Amino acid sequence: MIELTNIVKRYQQHEVLRGVSLKVADGEVCVLLGPSGGGKSTLLRTINGLESFDSGSIRVSDIVLHAAAGPERDAALLQIRKRVGMVFQQFNLFPHRSVLENVTEAPIHVLKQSREAAVQNARRILARVGLADKENARPGSLSGGQQQRVAIARTLAMNPEAILFDEPTSALDPRTTAEVISVMTDLAASGQRMIVVTHAMSFARTVAHQVHILHAGRIAESGPPEQIFEAPQEAITQEFLSEAARA
Amino acid sequence: MAVQCDLHRVPGFVPLALVCIAAWLTQPLTSPADDGLDRIRQRGTLVWGADQEGGGPFIYPDPDNPSLLTGFEVELAQLIAEHLDVKPQFSQGQWDKLPDLLDRGDIDLVLNGYEWTTNRAERYGLSIPYYIYELQLLGRVADDSLTSWDDLLKPADGRKRKVSLLGGSAAQDYVERFGGDNVDVALFEGATDAMDATELGLSGIDANVQDLPIWLFYAKGFPQLRPIGEPVGRGYYVAMARKSDQDLLRAVNEILLQALQDGRLHRIFAKYGIWNDTQMMRGLETDKSGGFVGSPDPAADGETKDAATASYQPSGGWTVIQKRGGLLVRSAGMTILLSITAMPIAVFIGLLIALARLYGPWYLGKPAAVYVEIVRGTPLVLQLYLIYFLVPKLLDIIFPGMELTINAFAAAVMGLAINYSAYEAEIYRGGIQSIPRGQMEAAISLGMSRSLALRRIIIPQATRLVLPPMTNDFIALFKDTAVCSVITVVELSKQYYIQARSAGAIVELGLLTALLYLAMSYPLSVMTNRLEKNLNQERRG
Repeated sequence: MIELTNIVKRYQQHEVLRGVSLKVADGEVCVLLGPSGGGKSTLLRTINGLESFDSGSIRVSDIVLHAAAGPERDAALLQIRKRVGMVFQQFNLFPHRSVLENVTEAPIHVLKQSREAAVQNARRILARVGLADKENARPGSLSGGQQQRVAIARTLAMNPEAILFDEPTSALDPRTTAEVISVMTDLAASGQRMIVVTHAMSFARTVAHQVHILHAGRIAESGPPEQIFEAPQEAITQEFLSEAARA
Repeated sequence: MAVQCDLHRVPGFVPLALVCIAAWLTQPLTSPADDGLDRIRQRGTLVWGADQEGGGPFIYPDPDNPSLLTGFEVELAQLIAEHLDVKPQFSQGQWDKLPDLLDRGDIDLVLNGYEWTTNRAERYGLSIPYYIYELQLLGRVADDSLTSWDDLLKPADGRKRKVSLLGGSAAQDYVERFGGDNVDVALFEGATDAMDATELGLSGIDANVQDLPIWLFYAKGFPQLRPIGEPVGRGYYVAMARKSDQDLLRAVNEILLQALQDGRLHRIFAKYGIWNDTQMMRGLETDKSGGFVGSPDPAADGETKDAATASYQPSGGWTVIQKRGGLLVRSAGMTILLSITAMPIAVFIGLLIALARLYGPWYLGKPAAVYVEIVRGTPLVLQLYLIYFLVPKLLDIIFPGMELTINAFAAAVMGLAINYSAYEAEIYRGGIQSIPRGQMEAAISLGMSRSLALRRIIIPQATRLVLPPMTNDFIALFKDTAVCSVITVVELSKQYYIQARSAGAIVELGLLTALLYLAMSYPLSVMTNRLEKNLNQERRG
């Protein structure tokens, strides 16, 4: 269970998150949609502490993250980050390491797995994302879609309870987007809990269990995709969906 | 959008506060205990300091075997050591820093043409004079407009006369007192350089004033110079010891007196062609019965100035390279050793400073920034000097009675490392800042602590970026090692000055020295280029 309760975040006077609450149950895929600047990425990044917040709390299983900075928060964050992975828009692979090393880096140095075990696991995961033949390549020599799949593999190697996807396909062309969406769909099917910020409507429509429309720092509307896409209640949702359809 | 900090901070590092060290400058000098002579006898060696670069006839590389030293002060040291029943041990030091070496306790005695002055007499124990020097005015043979000291005061061609002088010498004092505003002076670091410049008439120099013994020794090497007028400005060369080493001073006086009386000093000076009647004015010469004999050692009566067996023999061409090249190559070894020891330390300190500035809390970051500014804003030569002469004093204050000291090599490495660490810190800071923020975010999102992320992800990437500029700095460091001669380290440049001045082969040995520096730095240049190329290729993917 991941539970966000009343998250508020300000930049100086401006409130970018105005009391957001949501729950993601085990095995669930939660998609955050909404216009740019609505706070989707910021909300996602508060969950693993890449952004601080000013009030509210975040619960990941038995770990609770509060707003107040200090050693307690730091300790909680370290635990959360081991259990919750993140995939970035810009991949953020480690360019000085091979594909295999990108995947084994954290298991070896954070989880203290043996090198053999980590390598074995990494090869299995790379095969799963269709990159078994690229383990010795440098990230710089891969296509965007391949890099993003390595990034997913890197996260999976930590055996995460949940994965946060921050616009994972926004930097990709349609063909490589399809590669990545296919891997994500496959993951969802295997019961991987995910929170996804995306503009890929088809993914939201077909894979999500819950969709939240974020606008101006608030959740404007929540519901299963059928409801959000077929019978949106809020004007904001309707406007956003019609704009997305035009784009 | 600040990335959250976690518990794991950069390892603590408190930079050296040079300001504190500078404060000790004002501390009174503490003298080693008053047991000089006992200490020398226990040790079995008399450590005496001089600067080979000053050259003949004082102390200079033996022309026949440049790895050995010769000169009348070398023989004088031998004479004194024998009298103390110990062995003489030479210690190289820059001429003007020799008193500091005495203060530091590195040497027991300075024997290097130091003139008796009231200032020196107040601070140091000065022996009776072993030589009475005078000053000689020199002009060009071809220049007949200069025939007396008084001519110096008359402008020639509408401009003041210009005199070349050894900086800080008695000759400088004398000329400034004599000429006042009517004479221009040009200061040089080497006596032979000053004579060279005069002979060639460089930058309008008309004349040179030189210690007479130097002129007597070098006259043959400068056929275009001629002495003008009688020698003037008589003064005394004295041996210099710590004020507290009174036993040592008494023993030195004893042997000097004996050697003056029995003619041993006469023989030494005559060998270098610098004995003259002025030396006899003390009227000390006695025979075995103790009676005054009016003239020095009868056995040496027949000797004239021409009978000198050691004098300046300028050499050049291939011979000088063959004879002295080996010494230069060996000194290049010291240059390399200094560089390859200092640079890794500089890079390591630089990294710590950069991390403290970028990620450390304010109480590490602020001092690190101050450290960089202070180290960058002060000359290397001053830093070396502070470390070499002040750190032992600090150690003595912190750990009294333990007699901790820092040897010249260690001080040189420390000074170079500290100096370059400031530059490497800035390079590293730039390198780390140019790593995209997403790298740190990705690393900590994988559960890495900040310090682990720095170690495994950020620093390795930054290091590849900073390697080319750091290799450039390494080349600069190679050349900066030359400054270490101020704290008695003889490396390639110093050895060049010593050899070139004593052989008069400025060009040949200069080319060889330049070649050696080039041979050391060129491979690094090639390496820098290769690293940059690789990096660019990598970036292009």
